[in-house]
Amino acid sequence: MGALIVLFFAGVRYWLQDLGISMNWWKWALLVLWFTILGITLGGGFTLMGENEWSAGIRFMVFFGVILLLAGAGLWLILTKSRAGRSG
Amino acid sequence: MKYSGLAGGALTLAGASTAGFMAGKNKDSHTGFGRAPYGKDQFFNRKPFLVEKPTYRVVGKPSRIQYLDHLFRRNSELRRYIFSGAGGDFQKVRNEGTEALPEPLKNYYEKNPSAFEEFFRAMDKAEEQRANWEKYKDKYMLAEAWSTAHASVLSGSGSFPQEPRESPEISDFEGVNSSRLKLKSPKHGSGLIKKITHSFGATLAGITAIKEEWVYQGSLRGAGRGDFKVPDHWKYAVVFAVPHEWESFYANPTYGTSYDAYTMLRFISSKVETFIKEIGYPARSHVPPTSYDLVLPPLGIDAGLGEQGRNGILITPELGANTRLAAVTTNMPLEPDKPVDLGILRFCNKCKICAEECPGKAISFEDSPGKEIRGFKRWSIDQDKCYTVWNSVATRRPSGCRICLAVCPYSRKNNWIHTVAREADPRDPTGITSSAMLAMQKNFFNYPGGDQYLPPPEGENKTYGNPPDWLITEEWFDF
Repeated sequence: MGALIVLFFAGVRYWLQDLGISMNWWKWALLVLWFTILGITLGGGFTLMGENEWSAGIRFMVFFGVILLLAGAGLWLILTKSRAGRSG
Repeated sequence: MKYSGLAGGALTLAGASTAGFMAGKNKDSHTGFGRAPYGKDQFFNRKPFLVEKPTYRVVGKPSRIQYLDHLFRRNSELRRYIFSGAGGDFQKVRNEGTEALPEPLKNYYEKNPSAFEEFFRAMDKAEEQRANWEKYKDKYMLAEAWSTAHASVLSGSGSFPQEPRESPEISDFEGVNSSRLKLKSPKHGSGLIKKITHSFGATLAGITAIKEEWVYQGSLRGAGRGDFKVPDHWKYAVVFAVPHEWESFYANPTYGTSYDAYTMLRFISSKVETFIKEIGYPARSHVPPTSYDLVLPPLGIDAGLGEQGRNGILITPELGANTRLAAVTTNMPLEPDKPVDLGILRFCNKCKICAEECPGKAISFEDSPGKEIRGFKRWSIDQDKCYTVWNSVATRRPSGCRICLAVCPYSRKNNWIHTVAREADPRDPTGITSSAMLAMQKNFFNYPGGDQYLPPPEGENKTYGNPPDWLITEEWFDF
């Protein structure tokens, strides 16, 4: 699992470079946090489903999924702000 | 690299989902039914939450509970009168009212007239269900067989342990080893007995000094009826707990029985009693639902196992409300454990799920324990309404109802998601964690609601959790 996470963030680094997005430590921290919460949301929802609480698991993932989607959109705006500033 | 990274991210999330699913499904995370007989199921670290005084509120002079305050004893006393004094004519006794009852029943029911009427309502429901049983007996054959098997060791000559035949001053000393070694200290005594109790199968174990107010008055096993002093050698109680089998526990009461936990407790307590006698001290087992002289939940609170719940049950961090208790009394030198404040009482103030889901509306909706009962502030539980529900469940004979235990948010598995809640809530003085947990509990989980757990005409025999396949008759038999 650790190797997959390293691979993921290494890949992200190349994606961000190609998109012209410059990163610093707090932007990376925000990105890691967002991805961690996404993992916890999926893990939590599926844990409830494993407990035979299927509807609770789905509601859990939908509720936190919507919040994460909005937070992800906000994060994307923050990350791309520097790119927009540079190209402008 | 870019696409490998994407694949890595997708696999990470898939891994988190699969690990979560497996954690939820894992049967070893059912506390008390796992693989650890060495006390590891008592996994919650209580040390940061130890307090000098228990969290229940003393508001007056504590008094001892009378044996007629106990539903089963009261009902069996009334039944005994109906069969021996009134020729088995229930209707006659009902019509004659409380006036015609012998003492002390008369005194009790004159003070609690609704309990008298509720008893006959319960009997009506029992008769109704006996008539309906023909309709249900094939469908619920396995559930009934399972419950009956568990109950089989509870009565008659096969009962283990045998009921004491003499007063505690005699029977508790029978078989005590006369050559006793010097115990190093009471602390050693407590440590040893708790380890031994766990080795006999107890999920939780604690020690407390016995307070007079937790000993029933008016009846004592082996001694009969009358006013009794608390025996001098009842200095300490070893209090221990096991859960009900978790999968049947979450299902409709038709699929469950209290006896699955109580029979385990009978074996454990008999062994603890024998062990204590073998090392030279008197001992007596106390196991509900029939063979005990002590009120067990407050003893569990004093022993630091958990706190009082709105439903009248001891709620513990490991088992939630799925905590069934027994005790052994002794004068072996022991060091009592301290009580704990885990915020359970504060959580119960705002939760109320058990009261909302109770088919008998027997649990109080008050915001905080408001009724003074024998010197303590408590939530009131209407035992008689609860018993009417027992008699309304689709079973061959009344085997109980455990809805208030099953729907309790604390009654959860020992996996990571519930560990987060269990560890975070008692450390949060603001109460935000418990409010957030409760909001999720009420909005994410499905609760059928009150009457719906009962068979027609009251409800549709709905369930909170699905019964396990090994209790579903049609999975194994054609009918």
